[in-house]
Amino acid sequence: MPDTRPGVRSIRRRLLFFLIPSLLFLVLCGGVLTYGVALSVATSAYDRSLLDPVLDMAENIRIGADGPHLDLLMQAQQALMYDHVDSMVFQIRDADGRVIAGSDELAAAPTLRGGETRFFDGVYRSEPVRIAAVRTDSGFSVQVGETLYKRNRLIWEILAVELVPTLLIAFAAVALAWTGVKHGVAPLARIRSELLGRGPNDLQPLTETGTPAEIAPAVKAFNKLLGRMREASAVQQRFLANAAHQLRTPLAGLQMHLELLLRRDLTPDVRDEIEGMHVATTRASHLATQLLALARAEAGGASGRDVQYFDLRQIADAAAQEWVPRAIARNIDLGFVLENAIVSGNPLLLSELLNNLVDNALRYTTSGGTVTVRSGTDDGGRPYLSVEDNGVGIPEDARSKVFERFYRIEGTPGDGSGLGLAIVKEVADRHNGFLTVQSGATSGTRIAVTFAAPAAPPARDAAPKRHSVITDVGSDAAPLHP
Amino acid sequence: MRILVAEDDALLAEGLTRLLTKAGHGVDRVKDGNGADSALRATPYELLVLDIGLPDIDGFEVLRRLRQRRSQTNVLVLTARDAVEDRVRGLDLGADDYLTKPFSLTEFEARVRALLRRTSLPSGPIVIGGLSIDIEAKRVTANGIAIDLTVREWGLLELFLTRPGRVLSKDFIGQQLFNYDDHLSINTIEVYVSRLRAKIETAGMHIRTVRGFGYLWEQLDA
Repeated sequence: MPDTRPGVRSIRRRLLFFLIPSLLFLVLCGGVLTYGVALSVATSAYDRSLLDPVLDMAENIRIGADGPHLDLLMQAQQALMYDHVDSMVFQIRDADGRVIAGSDELAAAPTLRGGETRFFDGVYRSEPVRIAAVRTDSGFSVQVGETLYKRNRLIWEILAVELVPTLLIAFAAVALAWTGVKHGVAPLARIRSELLGRGPNDLQPLTETGTPAEIAPAVKAFNKLLGRMREASAVQQRFLANAAHQLRTPLAGLQMHLELLLRRDLTPDVRDEIEGMHVATTRASHLATQLLALARAEAGGASGRDVQYFDLRQIADAAAQEWVPRAIARNIDLGFVLENAIVSGNPLLLSELLNNLVDNALRYTTSGGTVTVRSGTDDGGRPYLSVEDNGVGIPEDARSKVFERFYRIEGTPGDGSGLGLAIVKEVADRHNGFLTVQSGATSGTRIAVTFAAPAAPPARDAAPKRHSVITDVGSDAAPLHP
Repeated sequence: MRILVAEDDALLAEGLTRLLTKAGHGVDRVKDGNGADSALRATPYELLVLDIGLPDIDGFEVLRRLRQRRSQTNVLVLTARDAVEDRVRGLDLGADDYLTKPFSLTEFEARVRALLRRTSLPSGPIVIGGLSIDIEAKRVTANGIAIDLTVREWGLLELFLTRPGRVLSKDFIGQQLFNYDDHLSINTIEVYVSRLRAKIETAGMHIRTVRGFGYLWEQLDA
């Protein structure tokens, strides 16, 4: 679609703005030139035939007893003066300028030398005429005038023969330019769809093969920019990895020494204080871990080479190793209902997503509660991952806010960082995933992430919109805020 | 047993050393990769506690060289970076277990115990709670009383013993115990597990069911 916003001009428009006036100008120049040629052709052709009656009459002037006269029968005169298109007129004057034959409504011819002939434009009965004149050796001047109809008709015929094809060619040129540009910019459309079909953090270079020479430098420059961005992203990744190490290691040392202290014989008030420090250290570690996970998700681990087709069951498997012991420690029944759910995505980020969903569920479920992890495909063949609990539930007014960073539901006992569900949302967005929250007002929450069905290649346009959170109440899945 | 702690953070290394020494192990400490590498060449350690982020040559490289020498030393990897990525790479290179920093003392102690138990697996009977298992003789006693195990139950017991602290999925158990010709259903696995569970319960052992997933071997507190 051509973009008609101000400041954005399509190449086609620009081309037509240039082409149409220049072609019109060329056609006009051609017209003027053709007119000139046609005029001279018509004039010289018809002038020659106009001279014949003049010469005929000049040879038939006789000097009789009553003076000079035209020695031609009336029929002969009429035959000489006959033309099937134009009307003709003649005039013969003697050396003194007196009209001796023909019409006296023609002006006297310009002075000519004896035997000289001349053609010129004149007027007869207020109509433009072409006149041929000759002066005989004996001093008579003979003129024959002719109206301009057949001359004009010839000029127009020549113009038409010349101009109509020229105009048609000009129109054809504009039409060809219009479609030609469309063909010419087809590679741009390909690049556009390649770019639009990308994940938010896909910084892989554009395909350069098959790119026309005119666009290749732009694509190359763009790829160079992408390269620099990849490099910057890699630098950021390295920074994050180092920051994680630098932050977590001292926290690990601190936590360990506090735990060693707690194993000693301590007076109750010292024990209380150290336990407080231990809790704070654990929270700081958790927060550091979560911040880095969020930054990692943002830094775009979902770039091309990290994306693979895999079964969400695989990450559920890893989650079981990590979370079952912790659930047991909290006396929570962590269970799994796993069915095949093939997605195209970044397994590391999606594990992070699941870890945070499970962590969140365990935090807000009390001892003796139940948490269930599910994977599978829904009725539309879309893979999903969900975690449900029978914990405290999310109040209705908080449901859309739980994915905000550092948002904590007022009055909840958990010691979470407030980043867990923000990470979930970030990762879900990066995979064009669709978040659904179902919760009773006071008990039980189910958070599900549904992904686009992974056709190969995945139909990205069919993926749900980004940044969409649907919240709904109770067990039925009717959306409140679609 | 001899344990080498390769960790560059002084606070953490000191805590780990103190903990392991108290538990009665001989502990050496190095704070860089080259130190770890030469210590490992000189002494046959039972266990290496290896930090991945060592200053000169990183833990992965130390591990790679160790396994290149076909050393049987158990390796517990400590990682502060991306847990999943480091875990995969570490396990590929031959690490036996991993912990993400920060970790709790009890978690660390449990992993160390499990790894050291593994070292003693081939020789002599393994004793866990009231259970005594003689791998070579394929004999098990609970509180001194011999238990009869079928071949399948024995295989299952071995699976749990070689993967302490791990949740074993039914799929995994199926893959490990049965070959293609002998494909058994999930239900059959459940039957074997419940039989084994009944036989070892008197020894204070329990096989916990992880709903919809698999099983976890637990030692009940006496």
